[in-house]
Amino acid sequence: MGLDVDIIFKIAGVGIVVAFLHTILDQVGKKEYAQWVTLFGFIYILFMVASVVDNLFQKIKSVFLFQG
Amino acid sequence: MIKLFGAVLIIVATTLVGFEFSRHLSERPRQLRLLKSALQSLEAEIMYGHTPLHEASRRLAAQLAKPLSTFFHSFSKKLTDTETTVNEAWEKSLKEIWKSTALKRGEYEIMKQFGETLGRHDRISQQKQIQLTLAHLEREEADAYDKQAKYERMAKSLGFLSGLLLIILLI
Repeated sequence: MGLDVDIIFKIAGVGIVVAFLHTILDQVGKKEYAQWVTLFGFIYILFMVASVVDNLFQKIKSVFLFQG
Repeated sequence: MIKLFGAVLIIVATTLVGFEFSRHLSERPRQLRLLKSALQSLEAEIMYGHTPLHEASRRLAAQLAKPLSTFFHSFSKKLTDTETTVNEAWEKSLKEIWKSTALKRGEYEIMKQFGETLGRHDRISQQKQIQLTLAHLEREEADAYDKQAKYERMAKSLGFLSGLLLIILLI
């Protein structure tokens, strides 16, 4: 459970910082950089969530299919 | 505990980088203004004082602030001590000083072209050349002000925020 709460805070932190970066880069007219920053933040979080979901599936497999 | 210490170090470092960058941005219009006033005094020395070039540049070196004073100092030194043309001495001193200024390529070209005309004509055309160079520098100064207003705050907050992001990613 401790790990789950930790990862939620991490996602929230990345989200806030990336949102700030996006607005600042947008304000000075560097729209393309802003979009790249947002995209990379999104991909990073996607990987993080994917690893957690992968963990969940492994657990389900081990519970219901009686494997290792 | 050591993690917290590292985090503080990272954020201080990136914030300092951002501040340094914004200082560089605000330094450029200041130095351009200085350069313009230097050329104006040079014009006054030539037009009204009838001063020889090495003497005029020595006086300018005494008047001006740091990066430009070294430039005029080495220029006048080259003119008096070595066997060289004005153009060569100007260009060499310009190259020596250029790394320590916040100025860009455009200003370098303007100053180089000005050096090519220096000491070749009578006083009236020399004055015209100085006016032309001043007009060019004016344009660059407007551009520098524009850039400063646009990017100065961005550089500061970008430094801080990138440090924050790095910390969150590394924790």
